[in-house]
Amino acid sequence: MARSIQRMIENIKEKYALDFVAVTNVYMQPYETNLRWEYAVGNIAERFKRIVLKSGKGIAGIVYKTGKPMHVENTEAAFTEDTLFNYPIIVSEKIKSMCAIPLYEQNRVKGVVLLGFREKDKMTVELYDKILENIEADFQYIYHKEMITK
Amino acid sequence: MKQTVPSSSLHNYLLKMYDNCSEAIFFFNVVGNLVHLNNAAKQIVDIEVIEKMFLGETNAICLTCHGYTSEEALVTCKSCYFHEKSRDFSSFQLFLNTKNEGIVPYAASFQTIDEQYGIKMLMLRPLTKQMETHNKLLENTTVKKVIKAQEDERKRISRELHDSVAQEVLSSLLEIQLVKYLPNEEAVHERLQQIEGSLSRLLDDISNMSVELRPASLDDLGIEAAFRSHFSWIEKNYGLEIHYTSEINGQRYNSEMETVIYRVGQEAILNALKYANVDEIFVHLYEAEDNVILHIIDQGNGFNLANYNAKGTGLGLFGMKERTALVNGTIQIDTEIGKGTKVVLSVPIEGGI
Repeated sequence: MARSIQRMIENIKEKYALDFVAVTNVYMQPYETNLRWEYAVGNIAERFKRIVLKSGKGIAGIVYKTGKPMHVENTEAAFTEDTLFNYPIIVSEKIKSMCAIPLYEQNRVKGVVLLGFREKDKMTVELYDKILENIEADFQYIYHKEMITK
Repeated sequence: MKQTVPSSSLHNYLLKMYDNCSEAIFFFNVVGNLVHLNNAAKQIVDIEVIEKMFLGETNAICLTCHGYTSEEALVTCKSCYFHEKSRDFSSFQLFLNTKNEGIVPYAASFQTIDEQYGIKMLMLRPLTKQMETHNKLLENTTVKKVIKAQEDERKRISRELHDSVAQEVLSSLLEIQLVKYLPNEEAVHERLQQIEGSLSRLLDDISNMSVELRPASLDDLGIEAAFRSHFSWIEKNYGLEIHYTSEINGQRYNSEMETVIYRVGQEAILNALKYANVDEIFVHLYEAEDNVILHIIDQGNGFNLANYNAKGTGLGLFGMKERTALVNGTIQIDTEIGKGTKVVLSVPIEGGI
């Protein structure tokens, strides 16, 4: 399964010409609380893999908790320097434009996928909409949401 | 002599200025003896000292002069303006021990007005008023910043309570309410596992918040252990690696000292985390000559200590210095752009624990 997720994100990176894709540990047990970035392609450092995120903290934590996707066209404009350190993955991977989408299983957030560019404004609204539209097809093994509310 | 000079001549104006202005003016001859002083000067310097200065007693001026402000210190006698000829003393700050008001700061100027005979003039303008205004301004802006920082912290705690604690409790409550409608035991079992997950997340959140506010380990186990758990928390949350070596062997100090060391260390690391752009930090805690010494070193961006634009509230460094002063410690920050930053905190151990 782990290998198939790795292959899945490699395909996605190529499909949208992304610089960086990461997925959290989607196979954690329901009583587990630790959220980690377990799968990644295009990473330039290993730092973010050490990070254990709490629900509600950081990009993964916020998306995991709210169950809503997040889109940031320009990270430098959106996060000021004194708050940026709360999003270590953006700092250490030098992400300048990104979106993060929750992955559902049986109506529960199972994990988060982060798709990013190292150049600002490359994650346009059009591209973001396109990614959202195709997310179910792209993540067919792990994306399953019964009630789609948009 | 005065009568021979027309009342509108420059000579006359200069004499009037000399007699009536609020600046104190002293003239010294080539060997450093006082030759003239004006009324304003007589008012601030003790008459006995003036006599000694007239007689040219060695360093008579030091009886009233308390030192001047240099680049190194607020009050110093190092490379004294009176003897140092190579440096420019056309405008500097001087402290005089005055006869009525104690030590008072002056804006001073010391220059040669007659090259041929080596006559020098020392002119002083009282600075007390300006200093008071300046201090008041500084105090007001600092107080505003402190209040804002306090409010921000409350906002953060309140938001955290609302977002994490209240949310998890609510969602667990809803799930529990739903259990009774579930069709079979298997579904109940699965739902209970999920509730268990929510509740253990909640427990984690609460203990995290409490540790963030003030770690119990600081009171129970001391500075060494508190640092260790704080660093592992930083590593977990931010992926920043902290190489921590401690040589104090679990030694305990008084609570005030431990708190200062902990908070200064925490602040220095937070600064490195925010601004240094590094993946690792080195921390060293040890005892030397009845002092507890803490080193926090990174090889990151560094900054210009003399002239930096605070990126945050600007209270961090200020707070570190204030806290250190509370326990009679010293803090030294060595940094240069591109050369990393080294913070050295030293706190005296007073009468053991």
